[in-house]
Amino acid sequence: MKLVELARTVRSKNAGPLKLTLDLLFDDEAAYRRALQSPALEPGAVARLYGRPEGTVEVLPYPAALAVKIVMDRLVVSGDLGDRDVYGAQQHAPLLDLEL
Amino acid sequence: MSAVAKLLDRRDRLRRSLKALGASGQLGYGIPEKSLAAGLERAPDYIGADMGSIDPGPYYLGSGELATAPATTRTDLTRLLRAARKLDIPLLIGTAGSAGAAPHLDKTLAMVRDIARADGLRFRLASIRADMSRPLVKEAVRSGRVTPIDSMPLLNEADIDEASHLVGQMGTEAFCRALQADADVVIAGRACDTAIFAAVPALLGCAMGPAMHMAKIIECASLCCVPGGRDPILATLEGDSFVLESMDPERRATAMSVAAHSLYEQSDPDHVAEPEGVLLVRSARYEEIDDRRTRVSGAGWIPASHPTVKLEGSVRVGERAVLLCGSCDQRVIARIGDILAEVSEVVRGLVCRDEPEDYRLIFRVYGIDGVYPWPAPPSPLPREIFILGECIAPIAERAGAVVRTTKQYLLHHGFPGRLSTAGNVAFPFTPPELSGGTAYRFNVYHIMQVDELAPLFPVEIEDL
Repeated sequence: MKLVELARTVRSKNAGPLKLTLDLLFDDEAAYRRALQSPALEPGAVARLYGRPEGTVEVLPYPAALAVKIVMDRLVVSGDLGDRDVYGAQQHAPLLDLEL
Repeated sequence: MSAVAKLLDRRDRLRRSLKALGASGQLGYGIPEKSLAAGLERAPDYIGADMGSIDPGPYYLGSGELATAPATTRTDLTRLLRAARKLDIPLLIGTAGSAGAAPHLDKTLAMVRDIARADGLRFRLASIRADMSRPLVKEAVRSGRVTPIDSMPLLNEADIDEASHLVGQMGTEAFCRALQADADVVIAGRACDTAIFAAVPALLGCAMGPAMHMAKIIECASLCCVPGGRDPILATLEGDSFVLESMDPERRATAMSVAAHSLYEQSDPDHVAEPEGVLLVRSARYEEIDDRRTRVSGAGWIPASHPTVKLEGSVRVGERAVLLCGSCDQRVIARIGDILAEVSEVVRGLVCRDEPEDYRLIFRVYGIDGVYPWPAPPSPLPREIFILGECIAPIAERAGAVVRTTKQYLLHHGFPGRLSTAGNVAFPFTPPELSGGTAYRFNVYHIMQVDELAPLFPVEIEDL
């Protein structure tokens, strides 16, 4: 099953100019649990999906909002030369094809 | 009697029920009129609005320019000033003019004075500066009291000197000082979003956990609702809990939508660091009162042992010129990476004959990897691509010369298998090269430990 079939929201945004945060929000407990248990959402797997070194990606469950937060460094500081996404609002695309 | 004196007079009642109107999460882009009117009809005890952010990038802090259009900004300010004066309640605005440094604050204050004059509004105005003294920050660096945020390098004295503007984020303390001086309207430079809304509760002696949590949520107006939006939001702080209600009847504050908002733009949603302490969100509870309102309780607040200030600085890196063009030729699209590398080399040879290689020329190819750094091109290739060329050079003329040469040699570059010998790219308009103005980058994003916050953020009072 694909992540997008389970998640209500898949979004990305800066958390300050050096960090990127991706939020996965689910409508119900079952979908949240299923996503959280998937090996595809383990930190190492997400790091590989984003082409990042092992150990540089955090995956944080947030049960109060039935949400999973992914945190990683931005590749380029927001607005620096060569940046492609100043707000970091379009860095969720790899997750849209993710198979859980 | 000032607006804030009237609140303090009623402090016993207000500690049990205090109504805050979050008018805008980014003042200057327009406030939805009907929801603002609905909010004012609810007789709020104060109005707050955030006017800036670090999100739009380093340009605004560096240049001193506003991100919002002057006419729209003036309209928004006019509506809030009129409303606050009519209800005779405090109006608090943080991060004036998009980035909150001296030029942003001064431009905002000039508008406020002008509106007051034109409308015949009379009030006491407090302004709070957020520009950091460079010798003071250098001294803090020397005594080891400045630490990088995230992966920023250590701060050095050159960074401090070079930053076009250097600001610190003020906290609740600064707004409280302004209110204690009987200000009816507070216009602050760079400020924590929470401080705008936490100051009145702090002054009245409300519990800081719920007050700070409320402030954290309503600084984004109705973004915590489903569907999220920019409409004003009303929060009622009732001792150890608060109730959220959007002023747009279509937007519902649900337990889930409010809880999820804690994650927004936060790398650690459980701990929100403020100058005066840390807000603990994990213990919060969210209960729906009805289908449009949610009650929130249980957030904790730990006062800091040493106050801290987040520093932000932005430095000029050069002048920017851009080139806009596209292609729908599959032969161009298939080889675009090589073509751009070859053209860059040709351009370098041409523009560096008598001058040093003092510029950076980069391309983003939309359709291939303009937005996300995909490891490989898509298969099949896209039908069309858009090419954004960008040059940053020491002066505008140099950046312009580089992109103009690039334009011509990209148009006519020869490559194996080329059929379109009259031109490789299409220009949407003329000229296809545009000046992008001065380019900046963040060179200060650090935390400074201080003994006292008050001397850093001076309050100035004027009676209009």
